[in-house]
Amino acid sequence: MTTLYLRDRWFEDLPVGEFHVFGSHTFSELEIVEFAQTFDPRPEATDPEHARGNHSQGLVASPWLITAMWMRKMVDYMEVYAQGVNDGRRNGAGVAINDLHWFEPVRPGHTLTYTYEIIAKPDRVIREKWGLIRSRNEAFNQYSSKVMQFEIDILAERRPVNSNDA
Amino acid sequence: MATPPLPNSTLCSDTIALDKNAIVAFAARFDPQPYHLDADAAAQSIFGGLCASGWHIAALATRLVSETLLGSGMPFVQMTSVSHLKWLQPTFVNEQVSVRIALGAMEEESRIAGTHGQAIEVDVCNEDGAVVAKMTATVAIARDPKRAVAS
Repeated sequence: MTTLYLRDRWFEDLPVGEFHVFGSHTFSELEIVEFAQTFDPRPEATDPEHARGNHSQGLVASPWLITAMWMRKMVDYMEVYAQGVNDGRRNGAGVAINDLHWFEPVRPGHTLTYTYEIIAKPDRVIREKWGLIRSRNEAFNQYSSKVMQFEIDILAERRPVNSNDA
Repeated sequence: MATPPLPNSTLCSDTIALDKNAIVAFAARFDPQPYHLDADAAAQSIFGGLCASGWHIAALATRLVSETLLGSGMPFVQMTSVSHLKWLQPTFVNEQVSVRIALGAMEEESRIAGTHGQAIEVDVCNEDGAVVAKMTATVAIARDPKRAVAS
């Protein structure tokens, strides 16, 4: 199999400049309201009538819903492109994010497309076996406006010394 | 409504308990990886136990920031940017989460009409006082408190 996979490559095999489109998601009014009921239960975030006269001039998605959906799209993408890789070996956790901006409101019916690009491999070894993959991630709406961006450092396992495991 | 706090004040939130159902429900929707869904798989993972998605912690912390600022006379509208967020340790089932907010500079500019920007430094803490995450962010605060209250 060729190596388009994210999950079954070692840190050393992930090149700076690699780019992926994780996919798209259309946000419904219901999921915007349900997320806000848990994480932003103010009337202007949960009630379309209330939101109409507010700063946002209508219901908008909570910023963290927009970002959490990036995570879901990434996991789904990795599952598709890493079938059979379920030992979690090279599946590191996120450590930190930088420069997260939400630029424009996301409203019911808007469709976001999420992209990922490896921009750096900081020279660090964590707990003897992990490296860091830094990616720039962006979300664009159906008008091609960028509505979100951030950088994230995610752990990736380094190839063990003397390993013949490709 | 309370008198708004002075610049450079530190505010503390109430506490929210993160139970297993909440952790798994969030993960099933947004971060369906074994260490957030299944206790046995999590025990074998880098985290060593079932723990909340980092995005769950970020969203929960932002709810606590909103409620704390609103309760302190600052009409919170929305978080608009996060310059840094670092997850320092996992948050396991039934941990109690709260935030400590240090108010920074007030900015005239904000991308949301009728608001100004407020810089904040947020420590997300568990019941032992350990900082599980740190966040440097800007939130939009309504210039006209009545408008925010009326909504």
